[in-house]
Amino acid sequence: MLGKLIKYELKATGRTFLPLYAALLVFAAVTKLTYLLSDSGDNIPAVISLILYIIILTGMFVMTFVVMIQRFYKNLLSDEGYLMFTLPVETWKHITSKLLVSVIWNIGSIAAAILSIVILSIDDIISGEMKTELSIDIAGSTTALALFELILACIAGMVFGILIIYASIAWGHLSKRHRIMASIGAFLALATFSQIMFFCFTVMPVAKALQERGDILYIGLDRSLTIYHWFMWILIAFLVILSALFFAITNYVLNRELNLE
Amino acid sequence: MNPILECNGLTKTFGPKKALSDINLKIGQGQIVGLLGPNGSGKTTLIKIATALLTPSSGEIQISGMKPGLGTKKIVSYLPEKNYLNDWMRVRDIIGMFKDFYEDFSPEKACDMLKRLNISADDRLKTLSKGTKEKVQLILVMSREAKLYLLDEPIGGVDPAARDYILETIIGNYNPEATVLISTHLIYDVEKILDHVIFINEGRLVLSSSVDEIREQGESVDGLFREVFRC
Amino acid sequence: MPWELKPDRPIYAQLVEHIVQMILSGVYPPGSKLPSVRDLAKEASVNPNTMQRALAMLEEDGLIITHRTSGRSITEDSEMIRKTRTRIARDQVSEFLEKMQKLGFEKEEILSIITEMIKEVRG
Repeated sequence: MLGKLIKYELKATGRTFLPLYAALLVFAAVTKLTYLLSDSGDNIPAVISLILYIIILTGMFVMTFVVMIQRFYKNLLSDEGYLMFTLPVETWKHITSKLLVSVIWNIGSIAAAILSIVILSIDDIISGEMKTELSIDIAGSTTALALFELILACIAGMVFGILIIYASIAWGHLSKRHRIMASIGAFLALATFSQIMFFCFTVMPVAKALQERGDILYIGLDRSLTIYHWFMWILIAFLVILSALFFAITNYVLNRELNLE
Repeated sequence: MNPILECNGLTKTFGPKKALSDINLKIGQGQIVGLLGPNGSGKTTLIKIATALLTPSSGEIQISGMKPGLGTKKIVSYLPEKNYLNDWMRVRDIIGMFKDFYEDFSPEKACDMLKRLNISADDRLKTLSKGTKEKVQLILVMSREAKLYLLDEPIGGVDPAARDYILETIIGNYNPEATVLISTHLIYDVEKILDHVIFINEGRLVLSSSVDEIREQGESVDGLFREVFRC
Repeated sequence: MPWELKPDRPIYAQLVEHIVQMILSGVYPPGSKLPSVRDLAKEASVNPNTMQRALAMLEEDGLIITHRTSGRSITEDSEMIRKTRTRIARDQVSEFLEKMQKLGFEKEEILSIITEMIKEVRG
């Protein structure tokens, strides 16, 4: 059932994103081509194309955010909710399917953006200029681990960001009127709570650890790596725990306090 | 025989307002029942609790012996007053969706009914008129082999021809193992197909009787309703 | 086309009358097969349970026979049908006479009006 929900969620949202991604890449290519094919000097087509590209790029990220909210609100808490919540499917599957698809499009948008930048700088990449600039000292498994942790933290951060918004919308749904204001209020409350928790459980232990291990200036590469690892995993744990909390809030509200108009 | 729908002391409050007060009722299988009452009397609240869209404040409700939840959603087919169709889909897509999620859904039956109404599977839901969308929803709901059909105001705001079509569909779909609960305030049109009626007012059960009993007193259900709910 | 049904009398009773009328007028001749309960209910625009009840009553009265495998049919007992026909006629007449008497008509008056009007009908 979860798979089916994901399928329909992708169908509903793909119609927005895939054309956007295509347009983004097209305009990146067009910008690059118009730049390459003209003599240096007044290059109006390239500039126009570049401006359009930037508009689409911005629009794409805005849409990723907007669609995430809109899908949750429109599909679950407005009239469509009458259909969704009478399907024989557990509530958590509704939340999870939307979460997963939002993450997919978030990653997709980032990938599209990266790809479009590659297109824009394709000649520099081929000629090897970019390569030197981007070259990372591959120190083997340590760097790979660090990169992995970074990616994990980014994804955890994405999930956290999506779930805090879902929880805010769900919490706001509890109020009879001014649901939007209530949701914004809920978001501020949850965000503040998260910040306090972040400070208590992430920053403070790390700061304390740094203190105990002596003067920060004398920390060598090894130690700073260890601290980095440690910090990353604490951060990831923090994000995961809070995400689970927000998931639970959302699930509870949708399960027991649903009140569709 | 086990009742398909049973309520004991069912109450639902929204803040200070009591939408349902101490509802006690039992409805058996194979019946077409009318849930009749003026607007705001609690009909929709009762139906929403049965479909698990609302949770009771106190008391209990059981559908085929189960509390509203995953199990009941599989055997309850609900037609809300609202239009709940996703705009972006075509008729074909929503049929596919019902097929995906409901084991008891018959796509052939649905397509057959749609064809007779000249609705094409490729039509975009967005382009359909309001009346047509309502018919599509009705068809989707009636194409399931459910144990309990809950129809909330299926004939309100619909032209007489459509009304006849809807009533015919309900009759034609009749199945002695299923029960149809129709909530409406338009009693005159719907009376003839009802076995049993329940009058509800201000969240309270006012009357529960078979239609024959009422008519044997020399009165139509519509007439009795007007008497009972006289302003 | 839905059958004509009055709102203030039990439906099953009206259905019985309606079907008897159809039998007597030849819409369902003796021995002919009846449509299924559901089809009849659809035609009459009534609840199949109610139609079922009406058919059960007609079966009790002997006008309809249920065959195990092939559904329902009208009786071929013409004596039975004749009796029913007569009964209905007498019911109609007694209802009429009662009404006329309530209006204060004497028996001879009633008879002479009937004799006169019947001539007009035939003509």
